Order: sequence, then C-alpha cells, then structure tokens
Amino acid sequence: MRRRDLIAGIASLGALGGAGAVATGNIPATIDGEDAPEPVDPVTIQTIDAPGSRDGEMTLPAPDRPTFVDFFGTWCPPCAEQMPDLVEAHDRLGDEVLFVSVTTEDVGGAVSEETVADWWTDHDGDWLVAADTSAELAARLNVGGYPSARAIDTTGRVRWATSGTHTTEEFVAGIERALDS
Amino acid sequence: MDRRHFLRSITATGVAAGTTATAGCLGALGDSGAEGTILDPPETDLSEAIHPSYGDEMPEFTAPDPITGEEVSTGQFEGERAFLWTSFYTNCPDGVCPALILRLRRVQARAAEQGYGDEAAFLPLTFDPERDTAEVLQEYAGQQGVDLDAGNWHFLRPESYEAGQELMMDNFGLKIEKTDGEQYENLAYAFPHYGLILLVNKQGIVERAYPKGPSTDIEAIVDDFERVVTA
Repeated sequence: MRRRDLIAGIASLGALGGAGAVATGNIPATIDGEDAPEPVDPVTIQTIDAPGSRDGEMTLPAPDRPTFVDFFGTWCPPCAEQMPDLVEAHDRLGDEVLFVSVTTEDVGGAVSEETVADWWTDHDGDWLVAADTSAELAARLNVGGYPSARAIDTTGRVRWATSGTHTTEEFVAGIERALDS
Repeated sequence: MDRRHFLRSITATGVAAGTTATAGCLGALGDSGAEGTILDPPETDLSEAIHPSYGDEMPEFTAPDPITGEEVSTGQFEGERAFLWTSFYTNCPDGVCPALILRLRRVQARAAEQGYGDEAAFLPLTFDPERDTAEVLQEYAGQQGVDLDAGNWHFLRPESYEAGQELMMDNFGLKIEKTDGEQYENLAYAFPHYGLILLVNKQGIVERAYPKGPSTDIEAIVDDFERVVTA
C-alpha cells in the first residue's frame, strides 16, 4: 500500500473534528433545547431476575417518563467501581426516573443470568437490570465503551450522554437534565 | 435495486443525516463513486490518511483464527462476503476496544436478523497474541455478545507480538508499541492505538474507513454495511 507519512494521517484526523461531530453521531454532553435530537425509537429487551429487578420485558426508553440507562458489563472493573455512586443516585432520583442498568453481554448464552444476578447482588444493585443481547439499544444510543450512561427525557430524547465513571453528583446533574426538559 | 433496500436507504438517510444523505440509491448504482465501490465517497476525504480508505484495495494477509484453528486470509472472502476489520486487544483498559467490538457485533446481529450472515464476515485482529489466547478470546466473545457459532466471526491472532506489529505496519501503516501499564491496575503493559474500522466489499475494495471507530454512530455503520452487502 501507499506509504504516506504519519503527518497526513494526523491531519486528516484533525479535519474530522468539527464536521465529524454530526456524521459520526457523537452526542454532545449537553444538549440544549434548540438542537433537540430526534427521539430514540423504543426497543424491547429482557429484564433479569435480580435484587430490585424481575424476569420479564421492558421497553426503553420508557414511553411516558424519563429514563436513565447505565450500560455496564460484569467483566468491566470501572463499572463495578461506580456502582456505589449509582446506588446513591438511584436513592435520590429513583422515584422520578425509570432507572435501569443494561448489559450487552451474551446473557442466557455464554454468560448466564446467574452470573449477572450475582454481580448485581455483590455490587448492591437494587433497580431494574436488563440484557440487550442483540445490542440494538446500545446501537440506538450509540454506546462508546463501558460504562456509558444516557439520560432520556419523557419524549424519548437523549439529554445527557456520557461514558466513563462518574460521581453521584454528576449522575444526579445529568439525570436532572432529562427531568427539566 | 429491490424495493426493500430502497426503503431501508430512505430510513437510513433520516437516521444518520450527514453520512448517508448522499449515499442512497445513486450510490448503490455505483456511477459516482470510486471504481469498484458501492457507496458514494465519504463526506470526509480520508485518501491522504496513512491507512487504507475509500476505494483502496484491502491489504491481503493471512493470520490464524485460534478458536477454529483455521488460517484466515483477507482475500478468501472475495466474491462471497463483505467484511468489517478492526484491531484490538482484550486487556484494553479504557473501553475503546469494547466499543470497536460492539460495532462489529451489532452488524453481526443485524446480519443474522436480516438473513445475510452468510455474506458477511467480521475480522477483529488482536495485536497482543501473548495474552490473547484462544481461551481468552472465547471468553471475551461471550462478554462482548459476539456469536461465534454464526461461523462468520474470526478473531485473527498473529503468531507473535512481532509478527502482529509487522502486520499492522506493513498493511495498515499503524504502529503498535507496548507502553508501561503502570497507570492501570493489574496491567503490565498497554497499547495506545488507533481505533480504525474498515468496511470492505465483496470485491475486496474498502468502502469506508472509520478512523474514530469507537465513537462512530453504530447505526450508520450498520446501514453502510447493509447497503454494501445487499448491493
């Protein structure tokens, strides 16, 4: 193949910055009302029998209330690290928002439901936990790494999108964006 | 072009405004893109990038799939399957690699749903063969929701770290180097690397290079792949 210098590669990356923001679907951390994104089409996924959760189905985002989604994996150490902050955020806002943690692992296949339920118990999870085994929800919400979180308002629009770990205060502030709008 | 595809193209245009607005039906006729391509040129011209991009031939190389025991060549899919290629390692500490793998596996799930799984292949290459053994890759597949039984997913594992470095440099112009993993818990070494995903058509021509693979809109990749594989 052509051998061009690394500078060219870096230059073209730079050019991606601004223009790429739309094309790549990067969701800004804060979304103002004027640039309201399109509502996310709902996806139905399976919930898991675990503390605060039950075996069944749920549709996300919820049609009639704000939704907070935490994407995690039982294999993901930072996901475990931020559980205490999620527990605290849930204690504070769990009545105002549909709070759910979602894994994209092969639950029911290579990874058993028990594995997820045990992880959940070990980390004091006490809200709905669900499996997005086809990654359809993760695709619609454009997950980029784990953990990732999305706060979605009552009309199904993403109001806070983030990846990496966060403090309780950051979670609360992020979720409140979806409550205000 | 069949009607179902046409409708999907329209849907895709709505979802991923920028990327697909010009890539609808005309692109599928191939009359305005580079020779041998199905998609129109990308919005951002990456032809000066060091790695292969739109309209280039996919570099041909062979590497073992340690799970099936096969030698897999990028050339073996010609005339049969479109594929996605990326590079990663399972010890990736920052979430970049799971984000890359998520994009491939969502396309894999979509391919199964739409019935073109036999016309698709997924070729994530590990440049850390020392740690990424067959067993480790198998477990990783489960964690990342990959369907190994579909028969279209091949982890590629070069014979040695040096062989992987050479493969990445010679074929993709990408330099792989171990760095101290001290900043991460329980990690002896890490690899800062470039989150590139390539979409290659059935003729072995690159249709899209996604240089910011970990954050590229997943549905845009799914739509691009679907247009290429069903063309």
